[in-house]
Amino acid sequence: MKSIRFCSAALVALVLSLTAVACGSSSSNSGSSNTVGDVPAKQSLTGKTGGALTVLASDDVDYIDPGAAYYQFTFMITSATQRALYSFGPDDSVDPVPDLATEAADVSADGKTVTVKIKPNVKFSPPVNRVVTSADVKYGIERAFLPTVANGYAEVYLGDIVGVKDFTDGKATEITGIETPDATTIVLNLSRGTGGAAAGALALPISAPVPKEYAAKFDAKNPSTYGVNQVATGPYMIEADSKGALTGYEPGKKINLVRNPNWDRSTDFRKAYLDTINIEEGNNDTTVAARQIIKGNAQINGDFGPPPAVLKEIFNSTPDQLALTPSGGIRYVALNTSLAPFNNLNVRKAVLAAFDREAMRATRGGALLGPIANHFIPPDIGGFEEAGGLDGTGVDFLANTKGNLTLAKEYMKKGGFPSGMYTGSDELLMVGTSGGASQKAAELAATQFEKLGFKPKLRLVTADTMYTKFCGEPKAKVIICPNVGWLKDFSDPQTMLDATFNGENIIANGGFNSNWPQLNVPSINAAMAKAELIVGDSARNKAWADIDRQVTAQAPAVPWIWDDNPNIRSADVAGVVNKFNGNWDLSFTSLK
Amino acid sequence: MIRYILRRLLWVVFLLFAVSFVTFVIFYLLPSADPAVLRAGRQANPALVASIRHQLGLDQPWYVQYGRYMKELIFHFDFGFSYQNGVPVRQLIFSRLPASISLAAGAAVLWLVIGIGVGIIAAVRPRTKLDRASMGAALVGISAPVYWLGLVALYLFSSDIGLIPILPGANSYVPLSEDPFSWFTSLIMPWCVLAVSFAAFYSRLLRGNLTEVLGEDYIRTARAKGLSERRVVFRHGLRSAITPIVTIFGLDLGILLGGAILTETVFNIPGIGRLSYSSIVRSDLPVIQGTVLLGAFFIVFANLFVDILYAFLDPRVRYE
Repeated sequence: MKSIRFCSAALVALVLSLTAVACGSSSSNSGSSNTVGDVPAKQSLTGKTGGALTVLASDDVDYIDPGAAYYQFTFMITSATQRALYSFGPDDSVDPVPDLATEAADVSADGKTVTVKIKPNVKFSPPVNRVVTSADVKYGIERAFLPTVANGYAEVYLGDIVGVKDFTDGKATEITGIETPDATTIVLNLSRGTGGAAAGALALPISAPVPKEYAAKFDAKNPSTYGVNQVATGPYMIEADSKGALTGYEPGKKINLVRNPNWDRSTDFRKAYLDTINIEEGNNDTTVAARQIIKGNAQINGDFGPPPAVLKEIFNSTPDQLALTPSGGIRYVALNTSLAPFNNLNVRKAVLAAFDREAMRATRGGALLGPIANHFIPPDIGGFEEAGGLDGTGVDFLANTKGNLTLAKEYMKKGGFPSGMYTGSDELLMVGTSGGASQKAAELAATQFEKLGFKPKLRLVTADTMYTKFCGEPKAKVIICPNVGWLKDFSDPQTMLDATFNGENIIANGGFNSNWPQLNVPSINAAMAKAELIVGDSARNKAWADIDRQVTAQAPAVPWIWDDNPNIRSADVAGVVNKFNGNWDLSFTSLK
Repeated sequence: MIRYILRRLLWVVFLLFAVSFVTFVIFYLLPSADPAVLRAGRQANPALVASIRHQLGLDQPWYVQYGRYMKELIFHFDFGFSYQNGVPVRQLIFSRLPASISLAAGAAVLWLVIGIGVGIIAAVRPRTKLDRASMGAALVGISAPVYWLGLVALYLFSSDIGLIPILPGANSYVPLSEDPFSWFTSLIMPWCVLAVSFAAFYSRLLRGNLTEVLGEDYIRTARAKGLSERRVVFRHGLRSAITPIVTIFGLDLGILLGGAILTETVFNIPGIGRLSYSSIVRSDLPVIQGTVLLGAFFIVFANLFVDILYAFLDPRVRYE
C-alpha cells in the first residue's frame, strides 16, 4: 500500500510525508537508539467519548475512492470509514484482526482457495441503509479491476483469481472465481497457489464492501464517481447529503468525517471516541502546521511529518507530543543492473562499499528518522529478523555505514578497473526528484559515485515524472535512480521484494516497472516463484528472508534508511498510533 | 469605441485559444508524468495502462484530444474531469475562485491606497526626509519575498504561533458567505503581505511619474492661474501621472485573480493558485488547462478594461 508514497500516484507523499529531520546525526551503525518519542509496545486504548478532532494535512488523499486508495494518509481515513474483511489494530502491525470477517481467512493447503465468513449484521451508511452481504464484498473486489477505478494493487495480489482476465477483457460481467455461496460467505478461487498473499491483501480497502445496485451507475462513469458518492461501513462516514453525494469532501481543502448512524459498536473492535474529525488540507508550510499542532490550534498531523528544525524542538522540549513509529518502508539508490557499468556485480559492490549511507540518512534528518538499512525487508515485517535484522546479512560491502573506499577500490579492481577507479568516459544518466530532502539526497548520491570516478549526469524532475517517465520506464535507460523506495503493502515480506527485485516482474513497453534496478537473476526469480506459493507465516518469512539475502548479495541498490514516521499531536489529544499504517489511528484517538 | 471593444473581444477569444493550445502542446512535449501510468498504480501491466489510457482518451493523437477538449469547453462549458479525483474541473475552479478573488481584491485596494498615497506624498515633497524614508521603505518592500514576508508575519502576529498574537494566522480562511467578519479578519494578514511589494512598487513608480509631470509647463501654467496646490496635484498632475499605474494595475490584478500561489500557500487559502500548483505537480492536465485558461481570461480582460479606462482618464486617448 504504502508503495504509493514511494512510487506511483503520490509523489506528493514522497516529498512531503517522511519529512527530513535534522536532529543531529547518529553514530550508531544501524538503529535509532532513542526511546524518547517512540510509541510504546502497548498503547492505552481507553479514551473519552465525544469531541471534534482537527487534523492538518499538506495535501489531498491520492484517491477518495476506497477501491483506488493506495496511500498511507488515505488508509488513515478509509480505516475509519470502511470495514475491510480484515484490519489492523493499533498495536499489531503484523497480524490483522477480523473486521467485516468473523474469523481468520481459511486458506486451503494448496493455496488455491481462500474462504472468508462475514458478519451478518453490518450495515451500510445512508442512503443505502441495508445489511452488507458477501455479494457486496465481491463487487468491491470486482470493481477494483475496472479501468474506471484502476486499483493499483488488485492485479498484484488478486490477479490469480479465476476469471479476472475475462472480466478485465470485457468478456465476462463478473469474476467467476469469486463465489458467494450464501450471504455471509465469500470464496476466492485462484489459478495458482497464491492464497497466502491474496489473504494478506484482504486487509486492504479493496475488500471493503460496495453495494452494486448503488455504485454501478457511478462506476460506469469515466473515471468512476463512486468516490464522491461513497457509502461507509465503518464508525465514520464522509459527510454527505441525503442522496449520498459527499458534502464533506473538497479536494485539497477538507475532508469532514461524521459518525455513521448505521454503525453498530457491538460488531466492531474500533472504539470511535470522537464525534467528528475535520481534516484540513493544503497546509503546505509544514513548519507552520507543525507549530500549530504543538501549540494546540490543531490536533494531529495527517500526511506530513514536522520539518527538521521543528522536530528537533519537539524532541527536546515536548517529546510526549511526538510519536515515532517504523513506517515499514525503505529508501534506496537503484543501480540499473541491465546496463553498463552496473551490469558488473563487482562494480555494484564497489558502489555500495563506497557509499556514505550515514550522510545519506542525514539528508532526511539523521538517526531520529530511522535506522540505516542493510537489506531490503524493513523492521516490523515478517522475515526481517531472519534476514539479519538491524545488523544486516553480513555482506562486507555494507559493513561500514560511512563507506569504505579501500574495499570499494578492491571491488573495482575485481570488476576490471585495475586502478580501482572507474575509467569510462561515458556520463551516467541519473534521474532524481527535485526539491526538498529528496533533491539533497540525489545530489549527495551523485558525489558518492564521483568518489569512484563515475560521472553521473543528474537530472531532476518531479517525483511522478521520475517514476513514470524515467525510473519506471526501462526504455528511458536510466542508470541510477537515487530517490526510489518502497513500503509494505501489508505485513508480508513478499510485498517488499516481489515487485521490486523479481526479474519476471520487469515491465516494459508501456507499463509501470517497479523493479528499478531491473534485477533479473534466474535463481532469485525461481525462489520467489516458489516462495509466493508457501502458506503459513513462519515458512513464508524464512523463504523470503533467504531471498532478501540473495538480493542483497547482488547489490542491486544502495539501501540507506528504514524510515520511521514522526507523528505529532497537541497536548489535549490522547493519540493512538496505528503501527501498521504508521499514522494516527482515527478510530482510537480521543480528546483528553 | 464600440468597434474597438468588439475587435478587442475577438482578440481575447483568439488569445485564449492560443493559450489553451500552447498549454496542451507543452504538456505533451515536456517530460511530465504519464497520467495513465499514475492512475494504474505500481507494477501496472501494459494492458491495464493501455485500458486506462483509452478510458481517459489519452491514446488519441494530441490534436484530436485538443479538439475534443475545446468542443466540450465551447459548447458545454465543460473543462473535463480531474484525473486525480474525478471531480469536474469546473466545480474545482468555481469552488476556489471566491478565495482568490477575495485575496486579490482586498490586497489590490490596500496596495492602491498605500502605493498612490505614499507616491503622491513623496512626489510633492521631493528630497525631504519623508520622501527618502518612504522610498527607502518601498525598496525594502520590493526586495522582501512574499513567502518570507508571510512567514515573518505569521511568526509575529498570528493568533496561534505569533509572538504578538493579534490576527488569525494560517489555515484560518473562512468564506465570505459563511461568516463575513471572520472572512475579513482571516484575510487581513494575507492582504497586507500580498500588498506590500505592489504598494512599494506603485509608490516608487508614481513618485517618479508625478515628479516629472509636476515639472511640466502646463502645471506651471495651472499654478500661475492661481489654482490651489491640491487642485494642481490631483486634477492636473495625478491624472496624467497615473496612467502607467492603471496599466500595471490591470495586469497585476489579472495575474493575481488567476492565483497568488505563494500567499495562498503560506496562509493556506484554498484559491486557484494552490489548485494550479498541485495540478502541475500531479500532472493533472484538465485542471492545469482549466486554471491556465482562467488566468489568461483574467489577464486579457483586465487589459481590455484598462485600455477602455484610458479613454476616460486621458482625454487625448481616443479609440477608433
